[in-house]
Amino acid sequence: MTIPRRDPRRERIARNRCHPEHDVVLTEQEHDGASAAEWTGPNGLRRRDPRQVGFIGPNGIKRIDRSGAQQSATLGTRATRTTAAAATKRHVEIESPAFMVAVVPDMAGGRLSSHDRDLLGLARQLADADGNSPGAVLAIVMGPHKESQWGDAGVDRLMAFEDSAFDGYSPEARLAALEAVEREMAPRYWLLPDASTGGADLGRRLAARLGERPATGVWSIEPTSGTSTGWQCTARGGAGSLDIQRPLARIVLAVEECAEPVDETRHAARPLALSQPLPRLLGRIDDQGRVPVDPAGIALAEAEFILSAGNGVKDWEGFHHAARVLGATEGASRVVVDDGFMARDRQVGATGTWVTARVYVAVGISGAIQHLQGIQRCDKVVAINKDPDCDMIKRADLSVIGDAGDILSALVARVEQEREEQRDAA
Amino acid sequence: MLDTLLPILIFVALALAAIGAWRRIRLWRQGCPSPVPFFRGLAAVPRRYLVDLHHVVARDKVMSNTHVATAGGFVLAAVLMILVHGLNLAEGILGWPLLAASAVMFGGSLFVMRRRRRPPARLSRGPWMRLPWSLMAFSLGVFLITLPTVGVLPEDIGSWVLALLLATVVAWGLGEMFLGMTWGGPMKHAFAGALHLAFHRRPERFSSRHGGEGRSTGLKALNLDDDQAPLGVETPSDFTWNQLLGFDACVQCGRCEAVCPAFAAGQPLNPKKLIQDMVVGMAGGSDAHYAGSPYPDKPVGEHHGDPQGPIVAREGRALLNAETLWSCTTCRACVEECPMMIEHVDAIVDMRRFLTLERGDTPNKGAEVLDNLIATDNPGGFDPGSRMHWAADLDLPLMRDVEQAEVLLWLGDGVFDMRNQRTLRALVKVLRAAGVDFAVLGDEERDSGDVARRLGDEATFQSLARRNIATLAHYRFQRIVTCDPHSFHVLRNEYGELGGHYEVFHHSTYIAELHEAGRLHFTPWKGGTVTYHDPCYLGRYNGEYEAPRNVLKALGIEVAEMGRSGYRSRCCGGGGGAAITDIPGKQRIPDMRMKDVRETGAELVAVGCPQCTAMLEGVVDTPAEVRDIAEFAADAVTHEDTSAADGPSRGGHGDDASPTASTRKEVMS
Amino acid sequence: MPHEPITTLPLTVAVLLSVGRHPVTGRARRADQDARGLELALSMAAARIELVHAGPFDDACEVSMRGYLGMSAGHAGSGADSVTLVDQPSQADVVPALCRTLSESLAPQLVIAGERAEQGEGSGMLPYQLSESLGWPLVGGIVAVEGVEEGVATLLQALPRGQRRRLSVRLPVIVMVNATAMAPRQSAFGPARRGTLAVVEQPAVHDAAQDEWRVQPARKRPKRLKIVKATSARERFKAAAAKSDGGGGQIMKDVSPDEAAAAIHKLLKEEDVLR
Repeated sequence: MTIPRRDPRRERIARNRCHPEHDVVLTEQEHDGASAAEWTGPNGLRRRDPRQVGFIGPNGIKRIDRSGAQQSATLGTRATRTTAAAATKRHVEIESPAFMVAVVPDMAGGRLSSHDRDLLGLARQLADADGNSPGAVLAIVMGPHKESQWGDAGVDRLMAFEDSAFDGYSPEARLAALEAVEREMAPRYWLLPDASTGGADLGRRLAARLGERPATGVWSIEPTSGTSTGWQCTARGGAGSLDIQRPLARIVLAVEECAEPVDETRHAARPLALSQPLPRLLGRIDDQGRVPVDPAGIALAEAEFILSAGNGVKDWEGFHHAARVLGATEGASRVVVDDGFMARDRQVGATGTWVTARVYVAVGISGAIQHLQGIQRCDKVVAINKDPDCDMIKRADLSVIGDAGDILSALVARVEQEREEQRDAA
Repeated sequence: MLDTLLPILIFVALALAAIGAWRRIRLWRQGCPSPVPFFRGLAAVPRRYLVDLHHVVARDKVMSNTHVATAGGFVLAAVLMILVHGLNLAEGILGWPLLAASAVMFGGSLFVMRRRRRPPARLSRGPWMRLPWSLMAFSLGVFLITLPTVGVLPEDIGSWVLALLLATVVAWGLGEMFLGMTWGGPMKHAFAGALHLAFHRRPERFSSRHGGEGRSTGLKALNLDDDQAPLGVETPSDFTWNQLLGFDACVQCGRCEAVCPAFAAGQPLNPKKLIQDMVVGMAGGSDAHYAGSPYPDKPVGEHHGDPQGPIVAREGRALLNAETLWSCTTCRACVEECPMMIEHVDAIVDMRRFLTLERGDTPNKGAEVLDNLIATDNPGGFDPGSRMHWAADLDLPLMRDVEQAEVLLWLGDGVFDMRNQRTLRALVKVLRAAGVDFAVLGDEERDSGDVARRLGDEATFQSLARRNIATLAHYRFQRIVTCDPHSFHVLRNEYGELGGHYEVFHHSTYIAELHEAGRLHFTPWKGGTVTYHDPCYLGRYNGEYEAPRNVLKALGIEVAEMGRSGYRSRCCGGGGGAAITDIPGKQRIPDMRMKDVRETGAELVAVGCPQCTAMLEGVVDTPAEVRDIAEFAADAVTHEDTSAADGPSRGGHGDDASPTASTRKEVMS
Repeated sequence: MPHEPITTLPLTVAVLLSVGRHPVTGRARRADQDARGLELALSMAAARIELVHAGPFDDACEVSMRGYLGMSAGHAGSGADSVTLVDQPSQADVVPALCRTLSESLAPQLVIAGERAEQGEGSGMLPYQLSESLGWPLVGGIVAVEGVEEGVATLLQALPRGQRRRLSVRLPVIVMVNATAMAPRQSAFGPARRGTLAVVEQPAVHDAAQDEWRVQPARKRPKRLKIVKATSARERFKAAAAKSDGGGGQIMKDVSPDEAAAAIHKLLKEEDVLR
């Protein structure tokens, strides 16, 4: 650490807005890490220039945001803010844990999902129950990941297996890894997300292998004196029709929102490794890779990108071509299906299929209430329509008013051109 | 020479016809047994022919007269010919009426000829095109050979060449008329038709001398207790023998084709072709000889069948494709128009029963709807405990609480449909305005079973019906009123076979009755022009054409009738589960119906059926607003205080109303 | 010398069936996933099908088994018209009994199961326990069996968003069908009524753990509240005054088709749906 040196002259110039060198000094200060609007005053106090901060609000009036959010955003250093926020979190370090709570997050997309974070929150409840002899939360990750915020999610120990054996569909390899952890560490609890993205399957495999009866579909746990573990849980059974209150099992498969994610503390996330390398094993299941799926053949309910046609579509050849080029699954409004332009299984809406697409492009669909009901769960809705007052446009995230045929063909041309360029570049 | 030749000709023809008849009867007897009153049936033929059949034929005046002349002339001429020329009895006396009969028949055949010159599309061609010539040959031949008999011409006129020529003409006529009747020419309809009238599967549909409704439209129940009994019709021989006989009676006049909504919409159904396919199946062979309009877009000659073979193939082609059966809206327009009294809808539902109950092959949303009916007692799969949610604010008296009421209001599955809830609210308002003591079943009500039955799922229908009947048995009421003609029909005509006998009213009938009794008063209509769409299940199925019109009249509305209304009303396309099976065609049936509406220039269509409402409102760019009769009535009903001044008749009504009020109070406390 | 296994024998497929429960009315029915499993088996040509159910033989069981039997229309010879019913008391661990029935009497090469039962605990553990005790591999999320050749089955597995993955597994194998597998065909009344239920006795193992459970109809789960741990007044205000998104999106009027297409193209790329 160096002692900060002060230059009284520069400070004076910085304070004096009329000084000819004022701006120069300010810029220099900015390079030192302070902004033009904020600097350390002569008494060590932080100084602010209210004229340099703030932004023009929607009414043309200058607004100053004193929370600092605006300022750091203008500086473009989001990281500084998060670190600043993180700095307020309590650091927790568990040196010699009394026991381990193993969590196997699904890591969909290589990051902790909200489900994984909920599960880590649940793990913390179990680990921190006894303040005198706290347990440690051990996260086990198989395969590559992009997560960096382990500590904030509540992980004390992190065991990351990097191995090509975990690529693709590899339940056997994953189970073998968990078995190795079990042999070496014997965690008191195993927590996995009861989700189709992997945890549901892996957790059950582990339970069957260890001969444990898991608690599945767990959505809450509470301490109790009635059971040997000191915990009981409430789990969903009978396809969501029953609540089963039972003693907490050693292997817990918990559903989403089973607990609040960790928020106030930051944990060490100390890397951990097994003493022995994982054994090589001969799998009986052979992953032959993804099968190309024709977007037109995907069931509407599953499709993630739907190009949907309504009464406003006149050029059907063009519409089908656009769907092919964009790689979108085709949908349709009821009227279009009734008129025989599209098959009945393509109908979107309350009387057809309820869709969950990430992007739903409604071409010439005015948006009858039944149709809007059917697209409730779509993330982004794009409307292409002639009528700027129709209900679909009220629902849409992006609406373009104009002739559907022209816009679609322009879009197709654009996409094709881009593909062409990529091919040339490659 | 003719003297010797004619008796031989006549008796050979008769003998051959008898052999043909025996063979034909054997074809029919391939069908399942079905007991009929043999002699009573035969005795009923003249009346059934002259009254009931003629009632239908007479809708086309020219054709009716043509048929009377030709057929009447033929029957008389044939009998007299056998007597005169065959047995040489009373030649001098009987010869004159024979001459007259054959002349009348000749006159008729000229009209037949005229119609055959440019036959409308609905008529079959092929052998039917030679029929006028054959009729002429017979009538002219008989006329000419009778001339010498009565002494107009000398006995030995002309040479043997002329005699031979005449004999040939007579032989041709005899061949067509006698042999063709039993060996399968166009004249087959006369032989099969007469027996069909005698042994009809629904003898109750004919009028009787003592009056009687002469209507029989409820489907017949399958025996599900016997697990050996076939479930529906798989092969032509699974039909009852008198159904097969009925198919054989078809004259291919194509009236059914002309009124069939599915055919008009370009769906692969033509009732006439369907019946002919059944005949092909009964006799075995291919449909290549069929000479009428095919199923839309389905070429003739690709299908074939035999009595023991499947009608609908699991894969490939057999007698017909399943879509043909599923296109039918069960609107009964074909049955209503059929001069031969053939029961198309029965046959179609029989075949559907096999497809659903044995094959599990109900198309499109059919399977889902049936599953819903089984699991939730309503076709939409809604929570049966939410049946009364629509009426949370109406405080409707429940049968469970009041146990008895004058009227049981059957709500139907429309309770789950927001559009129909408006109709129901309107109906409740009208009933309350008239002070009717009514109650509803609430959550105890189930789907009536109509859709399940029309989709061929007899098992689910009977299950729903039996449970409904058991529920209804707990309560005392005088009549059931419903705004759903499908429930109305099923409760009225189809529950009886399962032990449920009720007096059932369609709401339009009941409102008309209330108005007539002075219990309802309406403010005069000030809106636009109104037309009325007859629901099939109210009109053709139950003969109620007048009550809805009377209600509209009472409201001061003059109905601008559509070209096709009353018994010729065109279906909305929603009956018989057709909206569920959703067989594609060239256009949609409700669109065609709305075109009919547009032609009247009406601003509103009055309807009396939730299904019709849904179908007609589903038409885009609707020219007219669709409104239920109950809504018309509710909008115009005047409050009791204004009508209370009407006079003493209100006093009795007030007494009627008081028990309702008191029971309602009990419920509240 | 080891013998080559005879692969020309017809494949025996066992389908595990459970008693379903309608989500709205709770009436017994064929369970959706098991019905999909049966559909999968029926779609495999020339397979001998064994239908197996273990549990108490009561009315609900009969109704739901007949639901499956009704799917055997046109497959009368395949074995889909008869259910082997391993009769077990209501609170029994059916895995040992099922295990014995499968390995001793039915000897299937392929076992098809659903992922979760619609009644009872519905933990979905049964296929895993079977896999563990029979020592057969288990594959989940299957939508189709593409073929079986020389003792190796080629399977199609469902991934999210309609994507598919191909797997090959050496027989015998237990597969679990995915909810996106081919929808089950209609259950027909005739075959359902004719189908046979062959009751098999097996020793029962009482599942004692369930005795200490408290089972009740599912409560509605509390909605997660958005807990705002605000450090400043502004954040607290923002959290309190925050309105949900979706109050009208961007509307482009009077633009050329090309500009419109550009805007849509940009959104599609942002959402990464263009491939």
